[in-house]
Amino acid sequence: MKKYIAIPGTNRAGSTNRRLLQFIKHHFADKAEIELMEIGGLPVFYKTPDHSLPAGVDEMVAKIDAADGVIISTPEYDHGVPAVLMNALSWLSYGVHPFADKPVMITGASYGMLGTSRAQAMLRQMLDSPELSARIMPSSEYMVGHSLQAFDDEGNLKEENLVDRLDGLFADFETFVDVNKNLVYNREHAMNDIRKLDMKNENK
Amino acid sequence: MKLVGIVGSIAEDSYNRKLMMYIANRFNNLADIEVLSIKDVPMFSEDDDQTNSMAVQYLKHRIEAADGVIMATPEHNHTTTAALKSTIEWLSYKIHPLQDKPVLVIGASYFTQGSSRAQLDLREILEAPGVNALVMPGNEFLLGNVRDAFDENDNLKDGGTVKRLGDLLAQFTKWVTVLKALKGPEAPDAWKSEDLTASGKTDTTIEGVEMEDPKWVDKAAEKTQAASGKDYVKLDSGVLTVDQINWFLKSIPAELTFVDDNNQFIYYNHKNPDTKMWAKRRPDQTGNPMSAVHPDVRNVHDHVKQVIHNLRTGKMDLFQLAEPVDKKNVKWVVNNYQAMHDEDGNFRGVNEIVLDFWPIVKKYLEMTGQKLVDDPNNKVDANASASVKDDQGSAPAAPAADTGASASVSEDSAPAPEPAPSVDTGASASTKDEETPAPATPSPAPVVNTPTDTGASASVDADDAPMPEVDTNASVSVND
Repeated sequence: MKKYIAIPGTNRAGSTNRRLLQFIKHHFADKAEIELMEIGGLPVFYKTPDHSLPAGVDEMVAKIDAADGVIISTPEYDHGVPAVLMNALSWLSYGVHPFADKPVMITGASYGMLGTSRAQAMLRQMLDSPELSARIMPSSEYMVGHSLQAFDDEGNLKEENLVDRLDGLFADFETFVDVNKNLVYNREHAMNDIRKLDMKNENK
Repeated sequence: MKLVGIVGSIAEDSYNRKLMMYIANRFNNLADIEVLSIKDVPMFSEDDDQTNSMAVQYLKHRIEAADGVIMATPEHNHTTTAALKSTIEWLSYKIHPLQDKPVLVIGASYFTQGSSRAQLDLREILEAPGVNALVMPGNEFLLGNVRDAFDENDNLKDGGTVKRLGDLLAQFTKWVTVLKALKGPEAPDAWKSEDLTASGKTDTTIEGVEMEDPKWVDKAAEKTQAASGKDYVKLDSGVLTVDQINWFLKSIPAELTFVDDNNQFIYYNHKNPDTKMWAKRRPDQTGNPMSAVHPDVRNVHDHVKQVIHNLRTGKMDLFQLAEPVDKKNVKWVVNNYQAMHDEDGNFRGVNEIVLDFWPIVKKYLEMTGQKLVDDPNNKVDANASASVKDDQGSAPAAPAADTGASASVSEDSAPAPEPAPSVDTGASASTKDEETPAPATPSPAPVVNTPTDTGASASVDADDAPMPEVDTNASVSVND
């Protein structure tokens, strides 16, 4: 059974993105071990002169390192990824690179009907940057619109279509994780790029 | 033109800050650019609303007071920074200072890409419904390979880049001007946004003491560890002890009241009990918001709002209001509301000067051997007068010269009417504005009417005065 880390891209207690990940965790409990990981509470990112990381980051790095893949569910604030998620990704790519070559699946939930399409596009672009170099599952946009009405009292997704699509995407993701293990060149390549970047930053 | 610069990096040695500082210094002929820091802005969180924190409020006020914003963004992970995104999230949650504000996006980066993706994302973010900024289209400015771009004095080395930046800034100031013209005149009820309850904050607001606490002065002094008694205070052209400042202010033959730019009453020169004052004040009132100082009877609060709004937005520097003259040539008490500004020309509050002009007039007559006689042609009631800055472009003349009673103190300082009306009718007159070409901006409908004959000074009671707009003809007692 594979292990995944699920990250709600929010620091809001009542977030429907967290609810979606909780549903995913329970819904696929017999297929994978999914652990939710919070990313709020970190200080606003800045380049610490000594490259030190704030408390909590090391633990996050270890969890992602140990996982077979990551599922990120992002809200959309002001047409983009929430600052709190951008912030966590900044720390998680500052001298440490747990996302390098890590398979990532992106989901998103929003109150309105647009369902985080722009935030997801921005998140893909971010995860594709050299410092993160994640392996994002292609062609797999998953959005839950009108998310306040989307769940029943037990936290289950009400709409059957949405559940079916999730089942399909999750099965693909498991395959994607396996396939990714065989993409040797890309992994080496990404790590080389990252090493070069880190060196450049050191020399600054 | 006043602009603020916001740098997306909070790193100590940021090349984007260096670029912004360079722009502010090199192009101060085009605009007055104040560089703001977002270092103290907390991470955005809906569950922990810090809209009212000092850092957020400071940005809000600075942005609101500016004609436009320049944002310089680095690129982190193919996008703009979390610090800048967090700031914009605060500025689009409960408050919306960037709404309709012209914004120029620029960026610098270590590599050849020069923040192109970050800039695109930032543009999209700024155009989100809650933000609604007016980002200048086109005109992308990317500074790549920044490590080699500056010389040892932090000047840009490449002449071509400097020229391009200069052109860009000129273009942006034009864009700001055009947008202002598009927006048209200020809404006639803009004064209603004046918050007499002082619920906001300014950078001098003393937090943690209830504004209406009768012991506000003592508690605020303790909170700030204020200098007192024999402590020396360095002023811009002198050094005095606090005692000396008190003696000095009390010896001025006028009642002085300090209301800060957040509409909080924070000082008066207490030399007499309230019963012996023209504008009655008690020490236990100090610290009160304006709404508590003036009772909300009749339309008093509306009038106070109008006056403050006109002073804050630079429509006037001084508003004068005479007490009714029941007996001629005995006393002539005038309330003068003088706008205060800091070194950068930002509105910092109102100095209310209540003064009996009669002894001055009397002395003048004595010393020059003259006497007052009635002018048979004059229709002036002489109760109220106000001066409106000439740069409104709409008021052709200062108060008519034949109305001796309406001598306005600020006339001296107001610039002579110019052939081309200044573009910026809202902000206080700035010589920098005059350097931008004056487009054919329709002059806004004057909210403040300077009567050419100043004859219509209305009744003292506000009750009857129709008051949808500030009509400086009508005199109303804004004192309690």
